[in-house]
Amino acid sequence: MSGVVDVTRRAPEKLTFLQRLYIPEILRGMAVTLRHLVRNLADRRRLPTIEYPEEKRNYSGRFRGKHILKVRQDGTLKCVACYMCAQACPAECITIVAGEHPKIAYEKYPVVFDIDMMRCVFCGFCVDACPKDAIWMTRNYEMAFLSREEAIYSIDRLRETPEEIQIHGYGYRPYYPGDGTTPPADASREPVLPGDGERELLRERGVPLPDRDPGPGPLNAPSQAAKTAP
Amino acid sequence: MTVAEAPVLSGPAEKLAARLAGSPLSGRASVAERDLPTVEVEPADWPETARFLRDDPECRYDLFLDLFGVDNLKRRGQRTRFEAIAHLHSLSRGERVRVRIPLPDPEKPSIPTVTGVYPAADWFEREMYDMYGFDVPGHPNLHRLLCHDAFVGHALRKDYAPGQRWFYAEEDFRMPDWARETDERAGHFETQTISIGPSHPATHGIIHIIARLDGERIVRAETMIGYLHRCFEKMSETHHWNGVIPYTDRLNYVSAMINGVGYVRTVEKMLGIEIPERGRLVRTILSEFSRIMDHCVCIGANLVDIGALTNFTYLYQNRENIYDLIEACCGARLTVSYVRVGGLAIDVPDDFVPRCRKLLDSIPGFLDDVEKLVTNNRIVRNRLAGTGVVSREQAIAWGLTGPMLRASGVPYDVRRARPYDFYDKFDWDVPIATTGDNFGRYLVRMEEMRQSLKIIRQALEIFPARGPVNSDDWHVVLPPKDAVYHDMESLIYHFKLVMEGIRVPVGERYEWIEGANGELGFHAISIGRGGPYRLRVRPPCFPSMAAFEKIIVGGTVSDAVATLGTLNIIAGELDR
Repeated sequence: MSGVVDVTRRAPEKLTFLQRLYIPEILRGMAVTLRHLVRNLADRRRLPTIEYPEEKRNYSGRFRGKHILKVRQDGTLKCVACYMCAQACPAECITIVAGEHPKIAYEKYPVVFDIDMMRCVFCGFCVDACPKDAIWMTRNYEMAFLSREEAIYSIDRLRETPEEIQIHGYGYRPYYPGDGTTPPADASREPVLPGDGERELLRERGVPLPDRDPGPGPLNAPSQAAKTAP
Repeated sequence: MTVAEAPVLSGPAEKLAARLAGSPLSGRASVAERDLPTVEVEPADWPETARFLRDDPECRYDLFLDLFGVDNLKRRGQRTRFEAIAHLHSLSRGERVRVRIPLPDPEKPSIPTVTGVYPAADWFEREMYDMYGFDVPGHPNLHRLLCHDAFVGHALRKDYAPGQRWFYAEEDFRMPDWARETDERAGHFETQTISIGPSHPATHGIIHIIARLDGERIVRAETMIGYLHRCFEKMSETHHWNGVIPYTDRLNYVSAMINGVGYVRTVEKMLGIEIPERGRLVRTILSEFSRIMDHCVCIGANLVDIGALTNFTYLYQNRENIYDLIEACCGARLTVSYVRVGGLAIDVPDDFVPRCRKLLDSIPGFLDDVEKLVTNNRIVRNRLAGTGVVSREQAIAWGLTGPMLRASGVPYDVRRARPYDFYDKFDWDVPIATTGDNFGRYLVRMEEMRQSLKIIRQALEIFPARGPVNSDDWHVVLPPKDAVYHDMESLIYHFKLVMEGIRVPVGERYEWIEGANGELGFHAISIGRGGPYRLRVRPPCFPSMAAFEKIIVGGTVSDAVATLGTLNIIAGELDR
């Protein structure tokens, strides 16, 4: 605690003759601005101006940009359509329609997962709310649309792709490297009975799966899946 | 309940009850002890009570802070459907009181005006009339304030259907009565009524001023606001306690962090939880940085308005640098959403302290440059000194707080008057100016930035290197992600918190902090749901803007532009 300071005394009420003369004050002002100019010219790297879009601001790894839906090793979405992100969203911009997944370990999956990027306020509450490590954010802030419909991003634009991460990088996420959090186990590594036809069912429903050799792939062969696990 | 049979009271409430018992109001006003001493009066007795509370030598509640309505339609145990709540503060005694005025008639609620006692009540009463439809007999200019004139219904009533749309056409525009009347000197070619704004570069947001000029001088003016009204208070009633936080960022968007801190403090007080020291220090440090940003924007923009462009770049450089720090902490520059009820969204990054120190080193240089360019500059002096003068008495009567009040010579700062977090442990000064003019406000803001730097420096000294930032109460704070992923019980807590929200005990509370441009208060009412039943914001620049039309009378239009800049109007907070 301390006192009260009267700042009126800091600036004398009457200006001195030289100050009222104005010319010396102009020169003093010019000295300040010239110093900035010379310094900026001497060291261009110190210039605070960012020449966007050629040059971009280096955002931190916590930047809250476009969302991505994380995928399991087999390419399916980690999302189990529990609606918790939709409930936590203060802008009510997430629309989910849940479907029953043929694979028991996955239980549910989102048939529709839409984020209206025009409504989204990029608060990161969905990331905080997700219990399955399924939704992260990236440092991608360049989203431009020509229509309102285009601003509604569905699964195909939200699914994580290596290219997007390479260009923009991860942003706000539930845990960061080195903070001691163990991510939840990948359900695609859990054993399933062979021949339950889940891949076919998924293809029928239009869920894109990476092309693999026919036959008992790692998905349906628990022993192999366990071996290939990192 | 009368004073005679009041339950056991203590401290200020007891003194107030005794004082009221011996007054002409005896038997008509009752006192209860809540988070604040609460006086309850009938609407007919309200102006008399207000006068007593202001003039009585042992009360002296001279600063009128807030007046707002509450609709109790869906709230149990309330006597009347509508009530009005006022908050008054005594500058000399440092105490405050709440006045509850239950309005008995649910069909035609009516509350007499107190503008004769507290001129500051003017806009608050208009807002109440607009949002709740309370009739205010005796009010000099009872028109809608935030909603437009073609609006039908009263938006904050609980039975108002929120999906309705009311379109506003040009012919709905309401000219003030005095502007429509012909001036007695209308034949005089120099008398004219002009419209400044709503989209004018000097209005800092969208504000509409109707002014009558006699030559260059403004003889009468009226301000119209509400162009940026986004139903903050209505929206918060439909959200969870935590879900309101992103909305608070958009109140005073120049210092978003402070709004969030003010809001979560209210909820935390209702829950009765404490935040670890580290968490509170992060809030303090970033709030003070936000205050610096706010003052930088205010001074920078004000100087641009009066023609000094260079300072803007120096001051905004500080803001850029502070934004970088805030972005590294929470992932967004402007709309931070960093605080949560019970702590913070995420701990600060490892290099937080060095980054803060770097900022502490860089900011004073820019401030020095601005002072060199501005403080003894003759043009700036001519534009700012002696214009927009608010005397000490006027500042109090108009309910001003923050730098506006301090520039008029009243050393009232919430951080000093009612220290929260660690402000009582730090060594810092409250800057005041005695002139009350635009230049005084500039000087106060410049010094406040330096004091904020001083506070941050001391906060960094005691900043614990590691430790929790969040409360460990899992009924309030989301459990750590590691536990959610691997532990069933934590997942259940997580689920209950996200899906149902925090269970805040039934009750109401007003908490206030020092916002960047004055006292920022949140009055929350909980009925035990996951979200607020009613959330009232006391916006700091609302009374300053209400006073603007009085301050500028007698000055020129160019003085009005300079004055508007030093008021530091943030339309997001003004219109909510």
